[in-house]
Amino acid sequence: MYQTTPQKIRLYAGVAIVCAILVFPIYWLFVTALSTTAELKALPPSFWPEVAQWGTFAKVWGERPILHWLMNSTLAAAGSVTLSMIVSVLAGYSLSRFRVRGGNELGLFILTAKMLPATLLVIPLFSIFRNVGLIGSIWSLVIAHSTLIIPFTTWMLKGYFDTIPRELEQAAMVDGCSPMGAMVRVILPVATPGLAATALYAFVLSWADYAYARTFLINAQDNWTANLGITTMKGEYVTDWNEISAAAVFVAIPILLIYMFLERYLVGGLTAGAEK
Amino acid sequence: MANISIRNVHKNYGALNVLKPFSLEISDGEFIVLVGPSGCGKSTMLKILAGLEPASGGEIRLGETDVTDLAPGDRDIAMVFQNYALYPHLTVAQNIGFGLRMRGMSKTDIDARVREAARTLAVESYLQRRPKDLSGGQRQRVALGRAIVREPRAFLMDEPLSNLDAKLRVHMRAEIGALHKRVGVTTVYVTHDQVEAMTMADRVVIMRDGIIQQIADPDTLFNAPANLFVAGFIGSPGMNFLSADLSAAGDRPTVDVFGQKVDVSNHHLNGATKLIAGLRPEHINLGEGPVTFKVTPTLVESLGSEKYVYFDDAKHQVARASETDEDNSKGLIARLAHTGHMAEGQELTLSFDPAHLYLFDAETEQAL
Repeated sequence: MYQTTPQKIRLYAGVAIVCAILVFPIYWLFVTALSTTAELKALPPSFWPEVAQWGTFAKVWGERPILHWLMNSTLAAAGSVTLSMIVSVLAGYSLSRFRVRGGNELGLFILTAKMLPATLLVIPLFSIFRNVGLIGSIWSLVIAHSTLIIPFTTWMLKGYFDTIPRELEQAAMVDGCSPMGAMVRVILPVATPGLAATALYAFVLSWADYAYARTFLINAQDNWTANLGITTMKGEYVTDWNEISAAAVFVAIPILLIYMFLERYLVGGLTAGAEK
Repeated sequence: MANISIRNVHKNYGALNVLKPFSLEISDGEFIVLVGPSGCGKSTMLKILAGLEPASGGEIRLGETDVTDLAPGDRDIAMVFQNYALYPHLTVAQNIGFGLRMRGMSKTDIDARVREAARTLAVESYLQRRPKDLSGGQRQRVALGRAIVREPRAFLMDEPLSNLDAKLRVHMRAEIGALHKRVGVTTVYVTHDQVEAMTMADRVVIMRDGIIQQIADPDTLFNAPANLFVAGFIGSPGMNFLSADLSAAGDRPTVDVFGQKVDVSNHHLNGATKLIAGLRPEHINLGEGPVTFKVTPTLVESLGSEKYVYFDDAKHQVARASETDEDNSKGLIARLAHTGHMAEGQELTLSFDPAHLYLFDAETEQAL
């Protein structure tokens, strides 16, 4: 579509404003991490420190078990993603492909579970985990996160499977696959972009959790996740916001790396050419 | 290769009966086309034949084997889909060889068979490409390659040409015909295009509302349609239908067509009193003939070598069930081999031979 110069200026200005709003918190995180405590308390605030305090990163890395926290977060997120994907791939595929009595109602019921706030579920989950001895274990997080992730990822994947022509698995079945074989050999490879997007969503949801980690793991210091660990850096009388920000930067890096790794799978269009 | 025997196969979705008891004997190597308008049950029958839909009842035999309850992969059939259904994540070679791999064939044998199929269909140079890098015609060839490489006992084709443009469709139609002659595999082909059905089939099965209307070779369908629906469906443009009053001239029955008394003593009227007369557009001639009448064209379409002349006889015209209201509203039509000038509103003298007049019982719609 042809655009005049004033239209282009308005468009780019709009994009720049939206980008600035989205990027500002990340920028401010960096600035806080690189500033001295005095600079942070200054009014008006400075938008770039006089001397960037890169040493804060080394100090936090050295004094706090950041790597250990990150490992715990990774374990919890990887476990949640694995469990959620196994369940939601099968559930999403079934909802997409099979017509069963009450199937639509079941689908809506699953989605309703997503509407329950995490804080509402935390009490019954705590009670269950205490009874089965999972309080303080990473497994409590894996299961709790999965209860939140599965309803939404099931619907995400159902939507994605709906876009894949049924004729693909019908062709695979005529070629000799069983229904499960057709799903594994044809539908899942074709659904890679959808699976990648869903897995990323699940990972971020688990990674970003604080409420469940705080409830189930607070007394198990060895199993603290990164988010839980960072909050313990806040002192009763003094809080070094630059150190907390530096730790937060470390916590954000794995998510950025995963985005970069999955980006090529997130681009849709793999099904191009399957049909006319 | 094998003959196919379909006996009383039917399909219900709850109370909805989408396919009435369907029986058909297909000879070894025969090319059968199922044709009919959307929703007539032809694709349902093909899917039942493939094993992709379970039948509600009936029996299907492929050769001596009862395949009614077998899984699609165990029936030894191959299917070409309307939208090709190529596996987008696999190369052309992997697509063609997929079925062989599923059957546990060795890599060397798969490679040899894939190359042979690719050579037959002239897709050798695309073997390492993915489907998205191919044109519509190339994809169609790959889909055919995937079917022939397995050397199945029967081919099933579900409107395989409907996504191609008109020119390519004619080309691929000829290719599929030639391929069938070369490999000689029993083929069941579904289409809604009567031209495809007439040009490709050994026999055509015409369906409507889940019921077989007629099974016959193309010439028989054209010359001796079993009922009003078949008569209107086969032929392009479709047959003209007119309500015809029965009277008698002496002891010979006659019907009133375009204001002329036409002797119909050569038809078996079977006591029918309400009649519909049918006249194919190509059986109407310019100028005087055995039965002559005058019309005033409402529309003239020139195709160069011939003209489609539309004219009204609103009082007697009977709409064709196989056509849309819009097509029916154009009126009656004559297909005249005439290259000279013709204009709307200019009176024309037309004629037809009574031997070409079809008669149908208006109540049962059966041919008389």
